[in-house]
Amino acid sequence: MTNPKFKSVFIRVLRRWVFIFLGLEVLAFSLLGTNFLSLDTLQNILVSSTTVLLLAVGETFVIITGGIDLSVGFMVGFTGVVCAKIMVTLQAAGTPQATAIAAGIAAALLVGLLPGFINGFLVAHLRVPPFIATFGMYGIAYGCAEIICNNVPIHDLPSAVGPIGHGFLFFWIPGKLFRTFVEPSGLSSIDYQRLVSLIPNLSLLTVVFVLIFGFILARTRFGRHTYAIGGNIDAAERAGIDVKRHLVKVYMISSFFASLAGVCYVLRYITGRAPAGSAQVLDAVVAVVIGGASLYGGTGSVGGTLVGAMVLTTLVLGLANLALPTYYAYIAVGCILIIAVLIDQFSPELVHKED
Amino acid sequence: MSAGREPKSRKVLVRVGRSWALLALLLMLLVFSLAGKEFLSLANYSNILLASVTLFFLAAGETFVVVSGGIDLSIGFVMGLVCVTSAIVMRDLNAAGASQLISVSAGALVGLVLSLIPGAMNGLLITRFRVPPFIATLGMWGIANGLAWLLSDGLPIAFLPSAVHKIGIAYLGYYSPKTGFSLAPPRLTTREDILALLKIIPVPVLIVAVVLVVLGFILARTRFGRHTYAIGGKMDAAVRAGIDVKRHLLKIYILSSFCAGCAGVMLVFLSNTGNLTQFTSNYELLSIAAVVIGGASLTGGRGSIWGTVIGVLLIGTLNNGLMMMGLQIFYRFIAIGIILIGAVLIDRSFPELLYED
Repeated sequence: MTNPKFKSVFIRVLRRWVFIFLGLEVLAFSLLGTNFLSLDTLQNILVSSTTVLLLAVGETFVIITGGIDLSVGFMVGFTGVVCAKIMVTLQAAGTPQATAIAAGIAAALLVGLLPGFINGFLVAHLRVPPFIATFGMYGIAYGCAEIICNNVPIHDLPSAVGPIGHGFLFFWIPGKLFRTFVEPSGLSSIDYQRLVSLIPNLSLLTVVFVLIFGFILARTRFGRHTYAIGGNIDAAERAGIDVKRHLVKVYMISSFFASLAGVCYVLRYITGRAPAGSAQVLDAVVAVVIGGASLYGGTGSVGGTLVGAMVLTTLVLGLANLALPTYYAYIAVGCILIIAVLIDQFSPELVHKED
Repeated sequence: MSAGREPKSRKVLVRVGRSWALLALLLMLLVFSLAGKEFLSLANYSNILLASVTLFFLAAGETFVVVSGGIDLSIGFVMGLVCVTSAIVMRDLNAAGASQLISVSAGALVGLVLSLIPGAMNGLLITRFRVPPFIATLGMWGIANGLAWLLSDGLPIAFLPSAVHKIGIAYLGYYSPKTGFSLAPPRLTTREDILALLKIIPVPVLIVAVVLVVLGFILARTRFGRHTYAIGGKMDAAVRAGIDVKRHLLKIYILSSFCAGCAGVMLVFLSNTGNLTQFTSNYELLSIAAVVIGGASLTGGRGSIWGTVIGVLLIGTLNNGLMMMGLQIFYRFIAIGIILIGAVLIDRSFPELLYED
């Protein structure tokens, strides 16, 4: 107050408290843990965050419009099961692996759009509260997934699935060898130890989609309309935005990201399980809220969500690194969530204004 | 639109529309009785009720929260936390040489008192610090779950005093053609006599019924209930009418959490172990579903314990009936999803039918 410059610095710092928190987290785990600050751990965090990050980015769009999508967790299981089932069936029918895998992925992504459309239609046209519509869809998706896979995880997937899911973009032995996509075979054990794997395939896929949709939200008319609807739905309607159509699209984006997470799950774990992402629904919501979104709509960003998802994943992996049981993470996440909202409540003028 | 023009048919229609959930429940009972083997039996009906006991508690507490326009997502894991804690107290006190009566009642008491804490924290966060209910209770969801894991190491708490099991499977009365009616289970020796024994009303169901009647009375007939509806209907108006909204909401969240605590203690008796709540069990969402099927609106101001009871029974009957028909349990998720969406669609399509007086 006395010093305007100090205040503006303070505001800037407080607005970025999530970044600071993430930094502190990494610092603490690096000091306390074993070999935490390394390329391997970093890439591990990236890969582990895939599901939460994808779900959270889709959820960001929905939350900005003032809604919520609870169906995404079981959508992961549903699309994963569809994806795995089609791969297995086609492979058994004698289709080449590449075709089977591509068909499985394409089918999962297509099927994944349908629940989103139904959610959007229920919310926008029939005015069912988002909480109920997506919760109903969550039951339906879970039930369908269990019926498709008969309550047994789908196994015997094409053998190429694993290498794709666990593969890296670059393989590099300093001064000797540089490959893309294909892991070099027949290495001596010394070379094998020096082999550096860079950029996991799954993270590459995730980051590409996160960047595309981050751009859409921040820079395009579609994104501006999304914020407008969340800010004031009546005003958005009066401004000539086709709110219903837009909401349907937003829910379809959310379920598209869920099906992407389902496909990633299949590639990573080489199986399709019905309850695959069920524990991650609320994690995704938490990531979005930590990232600065308000459940009343109108605020939030893909960048914030990205950091929120990283905060959660770093916490889980860091606690594992310290050999602490995972349940500390539940407690910590609960506290972080409440603190995030408290910061928001107590300093709205600091955190939100000045744009 | 005046009521005088088509009074009789309209009145019937209104009554049918308002109690569609009850009609759906009766229809379901009819279908399952015809389709399922052995569905239509006293033992099975009391099974449905027994299996719904925890959900009755959870949903009854949630009703107050939803009527006030909030939401409580923490109840499922508060139930797990209380269940684990009271089981540990019972086991350890008994192992330390305390009598069964003391260890069991101390365990139950500790569980119930513990359950007040998450509710008080939820309520304080929501009223004093203006955290949205969804977030505050979601945070508590994680904290309660983590604490339950911490206390139990992720394993069920077993080796409880033997009285726990006896209370859990007790019935109010027994009727045997041989010995007549008795309060304690009669000693029967032959197979025919044991098969012919009628067990009347499980004690846990009796307890939950009493609690539901009390809560229903509080919500429908007392000032506390009227204030709850007032806050859910229009918060500003409630403030202007002189209701201490903050204090009232705090009480409601404590009540909801306390109901979850009752469910947790009851679960110890029913299962004879202290269990964590699994992620996939989704008690909080099921109880919200029951409340909404029972006619409540998530925007607040509407709902009743009676409606919630119907909602819970609908879910319980669905589970049981599908199982008795030999269908996989997964169909129930689909069915609950469809009923839930259907409930709100009916609500939205005929608002004048349902809520005009």
